[in-house]
Amino acid sequence: MNASIIGQMAVSGALMGLVYALIAYGFQLTFATSKSINFGQGELVMVSAFFSLTLLNLGVPYWAMIPGGLLFGALMGLVVERAGVRLALEQKSEGWILLTIIIGLFFFSAAENLWGRDDRPFPTPISADPIHVLGVDVTRLELAVAIGVLAIMGAIELFKRRTLLGKAFEAVSADRDAAELMGISATRTVMLSYGLSGAVAALAGILVSPITTVGPTMASALILKAFSVAVVAGLDSGFGVVLIGMFLGALESLASFYLGSGWREAPGLILLILALAVRPTGVFGKAVIRKV
Amino acid sequence: MLQVENLHAGYGASEVLTGTTLTVKQGTLVALIGANGAGKTTTMRAISGGLKPSRGTVKLDGQEVQGLDASRIARLGLAHSPEGRKVFGPLSVEDNLLLGAYSHLPRFFGFQGKAQADLDRVYELFPKLRERARQAAGTLSGGEQQMLAIGRALMARPKVMLLDEPSMGLAPVIVQEVFRTIRRLKEEGITLLLVEQFAKSALEVADYAYVMERGRIAVEGTPAELARNERVIAAYLG
Repeated sequence: MNASIIGQMAVSGALMGLVYALIAYGFQLTFATSKSINFGQGELVMVSAFFSLTLLNLGVPYWAMIPGGLLFGALMGLVVERAGVRLALEQKSEGWILLTIIIGLFFFSAAENLWGRDDRPFPTPISADPIHVLGVDVTRLELAVAIGVLAIMGAIELFKRRTLLGKAFEAVSADRDAAELMGISATRTVMLSYGLSGAVAALAGILVSPITTVGPTMASALILKAFSVAVVAGLDSGFGVVLIGMFLGALESLASFYLGSGWREAPGLILLILALAVRPTGVFGKAVIRKV
Repeated sequence: MLQVENLHAGYGASEVLTGTTLTVKQGTLVALIGANGAGKTTTMRAISGGLKPSRGTVKLDGQEVQGLDASRIARLGLAHSPEGRKVFGPLSVEDNLLLGAYSHLPRFFGFQGKAQADLDRVYELFPKLRERARQAAGTLSGGEQQMLAIGRALMARPKVMLLDEPSMGLAPVIVQEVFRTIRRLKEEGITLLLVEQFAKSALEVADYAYVMERGRIAVEGTPAELARNERVIAAYLG
C-alpha cells in the first residue's frame, strides 16, 4: 500500500514537474540566442492563460483556442523583446533584467484591471477521471499536460535540427558575430527566440490552468520552480530540464504528502541553493566563464 | 568590385583606421600586409560591417554598403572568413557549410537539395570535409577548421571574399596547404582580399598588394614592385 502511494505521488508530481520544465525551456530558448532571459515569464504564462480563457468564453472551441493562445503568447514574447530586451542589448548592458521585471509588472496590473483579481476555473474537454497505467492512477488531464509539453519541446528541437532557420538559430547561439557574417540577422533570431519562448509560456498556461485555475498570481509559485529547474539543469540542455523538472515535481509531491503541504516549496529551494553552491553551470550545463 | 575610400574606424575613442583606401578588381587577389596592430583586421571588419566606420565609403559592386549591418552586407555578396576561423563548434561540418549559403537557400525545407552542387564543389576542394561531414566542427584540427571556414565562405558564392589570417596558428605544412588552396580559389576566378602575416607567401600569390602602417596604406603596388621597394624589404620581406 505504502509503496503504491509513493509511486502514485511521484508519478503525478513528475507529470506536473513537466510544466516547470516547459517554462524553464522558455528561458533556455532566449538565453541561447541573446544570453538574456525574461524575468517576467510568469506574467506571460498568466496573461496568455487569461487570454485563452477569454477566447473560450467567447465561444471559441477548445482545440481552436490553443493555436490562438500560442499566437498571443508569441506576440507578447515579441513585445518583451522589442520594448525591453533589445533596448538593453543594443547598449550591451544588463538592463534587460530590470526591464523584463517591469514589463512583467505591467502585464500583472493589466491583467488585474482587465480580468479582475479572482481565480477562475478554466474549462477543458479533457476529463479528470483517472486511468490505470502500470499500477498507478493518472488523470487524463495530467497525461495531456505531459503530452503537450513533450510535443512542443520535440517540435522546437526538430525545427532547430531539421530546418535551415533552426540551424541559423543554433549558429547565433554558438557565435553571434560569425553568424552575422553568414547573412544571418542576429536581431531577427533573437526576436524568433522570444516569440518561441512566449508561445511556450502560453502553452504552459493553457496546460496548467485547468488544474490550478486562472488568476493574476497563478504563476508566481510556478515561476520560482521553473527558475530552480533552469538553474539546476543548466541553461543549455532541453533534455536536462525535462529530467530535473520531473524529479523536482516528484520530490515536491512526496514532501507535501509526508511532511505536510507547507513543505511543498522546500525541495525546489533546497535544490536551487545546492546547485548554486556546488555546480553553478547546472547539472547538464557546460562550464561557462562569465565576463563581468 | 570592392572599393574602399578614406575609411576611418576604431574602437570607442581610439581611431585605428585613419583613412584607408584600397581597391579590389574583379577576379584579382589582393593582399593586405603589415605589422601586428597596423589595422589589417580592423579594415576587414569595417568592410564587412562588424565595425561601423566613422567616415569613408565602402562600395561593393558599385553599391555603397558602409554602415549597413554585417548580415545585410553578407547578403549583398560579401563573404568574410574571419580571423580565428570562427566555425560553429557545436554544429556539424555540413551544417556549417549549409549556413555559409544561408543568403540564397530556402529557410525551412529543401535547402539540402538546393545546396548540393555547392556542397559537392567544396567537398571536391577539401575531401577531408566530406569525410567529416557529420562531425561537430569544434572537434576538427586547426587546419581542417580553416578549410571549413574557407569552404563556408565559398558556399555563399560571394562577389568578394575576405580572408583574414588563414594561416594563423597553423603548422608550416598546413600553411603550405592553405596557400595551395588560395591559389586554387584564384584560378577559379574568385575575387579575394587576403590579410596575411606571412608577407612573402602572400606576395607570391597576389596580383596586387597594399602595405598598412598605423591605420593607413603606406605603400602599394604589384608584388614585383614591392619586392624592389627597400622599405618593404627591410620591414616585411627580410
